[in-house]
Amino acid sequence: MKRSIHVTVNGIAYDAMCSENATLITLLREELELTGTKEGCGAGECGACTVIFNGDAVNACMVMAMEAEGAEIYTIESEAENGELSDLQKSFLEHNAFQCGFCTPGMIMSARALLNKNPHPTKEEIIEAMEGNLCRCTGYETILAAVQAIAGERDGE
Amino acid sequence: MPEFLQPTSLTEAMELLREKQDVRFLAGGTDLIILLRNRTVDCRYLMDIKRIPELSIFQYTPEGLTIGAAVTCNRILHADFFRQEHELLQDAARTLANSLLRNRATLIGNICNASPGGDMIPACLVLGASVHTCSPGGERVIPLSAFFTGVKKHVLRPDELAVKVTFPNKPGRGVYLKKRRIRGHDLTQVGLAGFYGEDRSLAFAAASVGPTPVLIDGIGSFSPEELPGAKEEILAKVAARARPISDVRSSKEYRLAMLRYFTGLAVDAFAAGEKLEVLS
Repeated sequence: MKRSIHVTVNGIAYDAMCSENATLITLLREELELTGTKEGCGAGECGACTVIFNGDAVNACMVMAMEAEGAEIYTIESEAENGELSDLQKSFLEHNAFQCGFCTPGMIMSARALLNKNPHPTKEEIIEAMEGNLCRCTGYETILAAVQAIAGERDGE
Repeated sequence: MPEFLQPTSLTEAMELLREKQDVRFLAGGTDLIILLRNRTVDCRYLMDIKRIPELSIFQYTPEGLTIGAAVTCNRILHADFFRQEHELLQDAARTLANSLLRNRATLIGNICNASPGGDMIPACLVLGASVHTCSPGGERVIPLSAFFTGVKKHVLRPDELAVKVTFPNKPGRGVYLKKRRIRGHDLTQVGLAGFYGEDRSLAFAAASVGPTPVLIDGIGSFSPEELPGAKEEILAKVAARARPISDVRSSKEYRLAMLRYFTGLAVDAFAAGEKLEVLS
């Protein structure tokens, strides 16, 4: 059965109808048509569907859609503004931090959630925050370097 | 597929439980959502308990530490008010899955999932935790040592909601050691919690070495100076309580060897008065 749900995604308030058995990833992709968030394993293993849910990075496949009633959510679509990529997105490009790109939205949202709480994370803190995000093709060094570059840039602010 | 219930008070939750049959409780959902998706479990109603304010309690009281059913493992991991005796809960939380899942997974969920390898459970056992429940029939307090009845089985009735876990004041210090194959996602091959009280009592609890997590108490009391000499006796007592099996993650011989190794590390650390870094 579909039920109405009210959520704020990327600063925009939505009133949507969604199956009460659906997970948050289905709400985002199929009801709100925000398809930047990718579904990988659907079981909380890979992190491809990472979004920021009330301030915390979570797997969108591990949250029931109805749990999002009243929630504030940020997805990869919140990164670029007015056609300009965000600092993290630019850094991923500069560091060649992706190949197929399927994990990248999740990687960037995990990194964003960390940087929102801790603008100057250490390497270990970055690894801990992103250990739930798997990449099958790039390897992790360039991803780590891309996030470290942003954390480092902010050291000078 | 289930109908979604979202009570906003314990009273409302109890009223719903009086009216409805076949309800499953949704805390973090990191196990349950997978089971529902795979249709390994089904239920008529899914009750999200996280909007019940009483279940977010997370504080010290004169009786000890209280952790509500809606408190996530990352809240435990990042809490800055823990007393030394409860820090091993943070050691254990650090080893549970990964940060994304810890932002959802709850302590109560880990306990009620009743996995033989539940990461938070050995630490709770050595700290003398109790599970507080609420059902239309009343409330009860269940010592965690009497909570598990088998693999993924516990003593709760279907309409009985675990609302909080309490830990008595128990000065001392503990450690949680976990062996797994890879960092991040892997389940416990062997988990061992040790606790050395200021009263010099020693207790251990182990995960993934039997059908349920097991509390190994009655080890005895030892001064720090006595611990090295008693080490073999302690190792034998701990190993005697383990009933490991061989499976895809480990052989039973390996599990037993790791259990003895971890116990030895914990005894050495307690004897030396040192903080033992969590291994993985």
